[in-house]
Amino acid sequence: MLEEVKEKVSSKFGFQCEEYDTNILLVHCTKERLRELVSYLKELGFNYPHTVSVVDYTPKGNGFQVNYVLENLEEKNLVMVRVELPENDLSVPTVSDIFPPLQPHEREAWEMFGIDFIGNPRLEVMLLPQWAKGLFPLRKSYDFKKHRKPTKEKK
Amino acid sequence: MGSSIATAGYTFVVEETKEVVGEDLGLLQEKLLQLNWGVQHPASGPMRLKVWVDGDEVVKVDPDIGYVLRLLEKLVEYRTWINAIVNVERACFMDDFGTMTGYSIAAEKIAGVEVPKKADYVRTILCEGGRIVSHLIGLGSFVGVMGVHTPMQWALIAREKFLDAFETFSGQRIATSSIVPGGVRYEPTGKFIEKMVVAVDYLEKEFIPRYEEVFVDNPTLKIRSVGVGKVSKEKAIEIGLAGPALRASGVASDIRKDYPYAAYGELDFKVITKEEGDSYARYLVIWEELKESAKIIRQAIEGLPEGDYRTKFPIKVPQGEAYVNVEWARGCFGFHLVSEGGTGPYRLKMRAPSFANLWAMPEIMKNVKLADVPVIFASLYMCHGDIDR
Repeated sequence: MLEEVKEKVSSKFGFQCEEYDTNILLVHCTKERLRELVSYLKELGFNYPHTVSVVDYTPKGNGFQVNYVLENLEEKNLVMVRVELPENDLSVPTVSDIFPPLQPHEREAWEMFGIDFIGNPRLEVMLLPQWAKGLFPLRKSYDFKKHRKPTKEKK
Repeated sequence: MGSSIATAGYTFVVEETKEVVGEDLGLLQEKLLQLNWGVQHPASGPMRLKVWVDGDEVVKVDPDIGYVLRLLEKLVEYRTWINAIVNVERACFMDDFGTMTGYSIAAEKIAGVEVPKKADYVRTILCEGGRIVSHLIGLGSFVGVMGVHTPMQWALIAREKFLDAFETFSGQRIATSSIVPGGVRYEPTGKFIEKMVVAVDYLEKEFIPRYEEVFVDNPTLKIRSVGVGKVSKEKAIEIGLAGPALRASGVASDIRKDYPYAAYGELDFKVITKEEGDSYARYLVIWEELKESAKIIRQAIEGLPEGDYRTKFPIKVPQGEAYVNVEWARGCFGFHLVSEGGTGPYRLKMRAPSFANLWAMPEIMKNVKLADVPVIFASLYMCHGDIDR
């Protein structure tokens, strides 16, 4: 089944696909055609979204990586769509209108990493307190010591 | 609601319908009222729901979360591969074995470590023990939100027996830290197996026959929950429900069957599904999964192989990444683990089922009565620890 998806995606979009794991296909996508690819995958039966997972590779100079994980509940397999973002342009079109469950996941990725999901209706602080807005604590550049409250002994 | 009262043997007559819209109601002129359901509500736990009501009818619900945020995903980056389980298991204290198993499988996949068969079986026993413990609390609190707190105490008696077994195994009752990359941390002794059998015996021979009538065939409970918060099969997939809530809508999605891990591929069990998709169906799925889990534990104890229970896990793990799903008590828990060749994880993303259920909830709670809010909330079976992480 995943072989078919691989052929279809690479012939229609020309994206590089590789086997990520048994049952998981990895598609390297560009952000311009992300929405097109995701709606095509939804037509193919990948209708259950899992999550949006962001990895920060800035210490290596590779920018950020945004992974969308989608599952096909009928055929029992998964596809991971990967978009690479350079450090100076952290914006990616939203897929929250195609997959409504991904809206809060994008919101979380925005508040933790500062990636701008263009078109997401609700990029507000969710898990963090209001004062921590814009600190992006899951970035590798976040300095724990800088934001630590002074303890009583040390002052 | 009216029809469910009739099915329970009561007759219910609506005398007259009053038209109040448009009349001068003084202070009540303000039609929409915003209520805070939580943080101090007995059923809410550490979170708040902003509920907009029109009279008694809920118009809109907006969750306000983040009260128990610990930023576990960041803390894991400062740990070694083995130490990270301490943060991973604290995603939720009720079923900590599921999360540890998922993280360990992901780490083993990257490192290319094969786990001994005995470790797989012990993981299965522990995971199912954790599931039973978590489900018992879920059942108890579902009855609890309706104002009856005694069934919770009965459920806790059964839970204690399992906690005794975990204590014999690892020395801890709740945060056991007992499953690590490379196997399990302690040898499954005869005493542990004995205690586990005692616990399963109590569940199957005492708890279920004695209390099934109260928990399942309870007319008061049925009036409150049958037909409340109904979700169809298509809708459940569209709004992204997970775990027992998804299975109660007729979608047979269970990671244990679909992508077998640990020893689940070799054991015989069935996936519980219901077609109704209401609060009562979600509750019944949890109840029937108790019996399935007890069966799995018995099979795993019977088939427990001889040999090692742990292999060596390397200190430095080569570059790579893995995405692993496990069927946790509350649904499918995903781990996206990345290694950059260091002594600890580079990045761990945890996909929490309760987070998915929470954000599907506003869609389910449209146009229900205010009194149904806690019922739907409890039936979605969420844990605040893994919403916030």
